[in-house]
This record gives sequence, structure tokens and C-alpha cells, in this order.
Amino acid sequence: MALLSVKNLTIGYKTKKGLLKAVDNISFDLEKGSPLGFVGESGCGKTTIGMALMGLLPENAVILDGSIQFQGEDLVLLKEKQWRRVRGAKIAMIFQAAMNALNPVHRVEDQIKEAIITHQPDMSSADLTARLQELFSLVDIPVQRMKDYPHEYSGGMKQRVIIAMALACDPDLIIADEPTTALDVIVQDQILQEIRKVQQKTRTGLIFISHDIAVVASVCDRICVMYAGQLVETGTKKEVFTSPRHPYTRSLLGSYLSLDNLNDIVIPDMQESPDLLSDIGSCRFADNCKVCSGVCRKEAPDWIDISGTHKAFCCEPQIIRGSHGKT
Amino acid sequence: MGKPDKKTSPLVEMKGVSKTYFPRKQLFARHQNTVLALNGIDLCIETGEIFGLVGQSGSGKTTTGRLLLRLEQPTAGEILFNKVPVRGLKGRALKEFRSRVQMIFQDPYQSLNSHLSIAETVMEPLVVQKIGTPESRSKKVIHTLETVGLSPGKSFYNRYPHQLSGGQRQRVAIARAIVVEPEFIVADEPTSMLDATIAIQLFKLLMDIKATFGMTFLFITHNLAAARYLCDRIAVINEGHIVEVNTAENIIRHPEHPYTKKLIQVQPGFKFSR
Repeated sequence: MALLSVKNLTIGYKTKKGLLKAVDNISFDLEKGSPLGFVGESGCGKTTIGMALMGLLPENAVILDGSIQFQGEDLVLLKEKQWRRVRGAKIAMIFQAAMNALNPVHRVEDQIKEAIITHQPDMSSADLTARLQELFSLVDIPVQRMKDYPHEYSGGMKQRVIIAMALACDPDLIIADEPTTALDVIVQDQILQEIRKVQQKTRTGLIFISHDIAVVASVCDRICVMYAGQLVETGTKKEVFTSPRHPYTRSLLGSYLSLDNLNDIVIPDMQESPDLLSDIGSCRFADNCKVCSGVCRKEAPDWIDISGTHKAFCCEPQIIRGSHGKT
Repeated sequence: MGKPDKKTSPLVEMKGVSKTYFPRKQLFARHQNTVLALNGIDLCIETGEIFGLVGQSGSGKTTTGRLLLRLEQPTAGEILFNKVPVRGLKGRALKEFRSRVQMIFQDPYQSLNSHLSIAETVMEPLVVQKIGTPESRSKKVIHTLETVGLSPGKSFYNRYPHQLSGGQRQRVAIARAIVVEPEFIVADEPTSMLDATIAIQLFKLLMDIKATFGMTFLFITHNLAAARYLCDRIAVINEGHIVEVNTAENIIRHPEHPYTKKLIQVQPGFKFSR
């Protein structure tokens, strides 16, 4: 059975101008030991999904529909008090630029200890010390640095502490939301290696959220591509990156500059994501789509299977299955 | 992508430029710590090229850009613009220099004044430089907005930054930079806040502007792949030193310095497709 099973999740934000559907009818399953990546541009709803899984949606957010099945319970129905049992202990999150959230006046060691004590108050102090040492060595910080203050650490080391903190209670699921965006390329590379290593060692469930497709590709086995609150394509890493099928995935991959794809660059003629408040046609990508016939403005798109694991959300099977799926 | 032709002349030169920052004095500190941001930099940017400056955060790349525009003065060394030392410029000569160099900043959410309309923002350099009459300025603004892809220009004229998306804001910042038809533009990480699909369109725009107006660009970035796509030549900077300068292709294909090799190695890509 899947560790996490999200069905038809729909989340809206109440705004002055009306209800904004930030996440529209999203379903996915997560297996243990198979990291799942969410990729999409800013405002596509990927962080909202992460927040919903942590029970940290802001006050103006409403879950309009759907369920989040995790270890036999539906997280959507949990009350705030019940969340305390899950959050941190069973599901942990690594936030973007979280290293700046470390408390400057407490030792790093004590800040991680706090997380453990909150959830396991009766742990003996010998066990606690052993657990801390284990965590520090897991993220490659020398044990003698445990008693330092955050300002004595570099940015990369602080982000490692945040990873250690997320692992502190041995959670079953970790959500990493843009964990390397605030770091520069060399440190980013180290942290990504760290996350891969830790994931393989602990076999924790991992959801990795990023706008950077190459970063997602380097960590995850399965990829979900999002556009304007909708899931548009999902498949294994290889399927999505070597034969993208949805027109949006193709323009996203075609516009990504890496050192080995210079000749494949296609400059998309795309506007930024549509205004989610206004009444959008059934397919939210329709206005930017260069290949569709326009039926998607009237008909609702549906999932089109390409293989057992690879599918795309579109109205026109010939676009998805067509030969121009190759890049 | 046009490579610079053989008979080019240097537009901007840096000769042994160093920059030291003196942080605020600490109350009980015996010695004052200084930060050496740039350490004896020699650099030459040819007329009409897009020159890339690539490095990690803290390597001194933004400082280089600020020195070239005389937003700051170097601690040592000399900077020449069209063979004239920038250090000694004063009064009218300095003001004229300011109209010939412009900057595009990283964050379009902070670099535009939210109280000024798009028209006021783009027109400001013309007003400051006393170029044209009110009518000709407004024509020029509309024309420039259309050049940067905000068309029809009239429909953007009276809008405010908060009504625009990130990509559109950055286009406004580019319009503000090119409206005085400068010779040299420093673009400091102009797309690092934008999504890939939008960033690539802005790169295209910068290349079009270069082709149309023949401007010279210094493109500052931490992204080697972006620099290779956009630039004719690339300099790699690390801890205040230029470690390697070469054509964009050669930097990637035949890196010589270990630091350049390291940068190439950590650049994210789709590893399995190699």
C-alpha cells in the first residue's frame, strides 16, 4: 500500500477578489523509498500542496475537496490538536532558506534536541545524546561542532542542520520545499548529494518540490509537472525528461539552459500563469498552448495514458501520443 | 549569436583593480577586519560583445559591476571607459558618463519604484538627462516599451508595477536602461528571480537589443549555462580573482582552471541524457 495517497485534492484561497483555486483536483500516490518530485513555476500550487500535507495552510485557505490518506487516516479531517501528533514526528518539512530560521541565541544541538523532546519526552539523556550524534554524522557535520551557535556555521552547514532537524524524530515522510534555492551552485550540489544519501539510508518517503527541473531530476525517481494549480504530466524521471508529452512540459524542458542541451533550446512564446481568479477554461494551459485545436476551452481535459507509469492531462490524445512528443 | 569581429576596440578596461570594504568598527575589536572583495582584477570588455562574469555568491562579481558604473570607487587600480579614466569624472562629464552606462538589477520587485507609473519609470532617465521635449519623451517611452515586448506600449503606459508580472517588470527595467541609448549595460543576475520559461525569453530580448542597437553588455550570473547561451566571452571569478577568461565555448569545453572545472561539474543537468 502506498505510504501517502492524495485523491482529488482541491485547495482554494479566499481573497478580497474572490476564491482562488490554487490546487485543482490533484491526485497522486507516494511509495516509500521512491522520491517524488513536484516541478512547476512560481504560483503553480506546489508549495500549497506541501503545506496541506503538513497541516500548515494559512487561515484563508480552504480544502474544498479531496482526501489525503496517510497511515490509515485522512489528514484533511485532522483537528489542530491531532496535527501535533503527526507534524514533525511522522511528517517533517524542510523549508526554503530555512537555515535563516535557526534561533541565533541557542546552540545548534539544543535546537535539534528540542524537536526530539517535544515528541518523545521520556527519552533518556544517554539515548538523546546518541541520537544527536547519529543525526550529525548522518548529515556529515563533525560531532565536535554540535555545541556551536548557528552564526559559526556556513550557509550549507545550516541547511544540513535543518535536514538533521527534519530527520530528528525519524519521520515516515519528508517534504523538501525548494531546499537549495537560496544556496549557490557548489553548496547546492553538496546538499543534493546529502539528501540523496540520507534518503537512501533511511528509506524515508520524500516529496521534493522545486522550480528547477534539473534539481528535481537529480533527486527524484518520479516527477509530477504542475501548471497553474493543475497536474499536467506525471511519470518516471526518464519518461518525463526524455519523452515529455504535455505541451507545457515540453516548453519547460525546451527553455531550460543546461550545459549539454544548447542546441535543443526552444524559446516559448508564453505568458506567465493565468489569473486563477478569473473563470478559466477547462484546461488552464489553453491560452499558452501552441499545438491544441481549441476544443480544450470547452471540454474538460482527461488523463491520457502513455505507459503504465506515464500519463498526461490533455483533451487531445493525438497531441500526447503524437510523434512530436520526442524532443 | 554574433561573435565580435576581429577589429574591435576595448570599451571598458579594468587595470589592477582592487576593492576593500571596511566593515563597521566593532566596539571591543582590537583589529579592524577588512574584506578584500576584489584583488587586482584585469579585465577588458570589447565594444559590441556580451561579456559574462560568472562566480559563486561572494566572489566579487556584483562589486565589479558596481565599480564599472562608478557606483563605487576602487581602492586601487584604474578603470577606463572609452580610454578615459572613470575615477576623475566630475560635473558635466560625470553626468554624461551616467547616460552612457546603465544597469539592470536582479530583483524586479525591488528595483522599480512602486509609486511611479511605468511611463514615469521609463521616462525618468530622459528627464534627468534633459533629453527631448515632453512630447518626444512620451513617444520615445512608448517606442521603447514596444521594443522590449510590452506592446502595445500605450496599454502599459499608465499602469503601475504591482499590475505587472515578474517578467513584465523586468522588461520595464530593461526599457528604463535602454531608453537613453547607452553604450554599456551591466545586467546583474537579471533573470534569477524568474521562471525558466520567462527567463529564456528575456535572454532572447537582450540578444535582440544587442543586435539592434549594438550595445555592449556585462552579464553577471552564477549560472554557467545561462552565460554560455548569452555571452561571447566569459570570465570566471573566484574570491576576488579572475581565474580564467575565454570564449564561451572554450570555457565550457576546455576549462583550464580547477575552479572552472568544479563549477562545470556541479552545474545541474539531466545527468542520464548525457
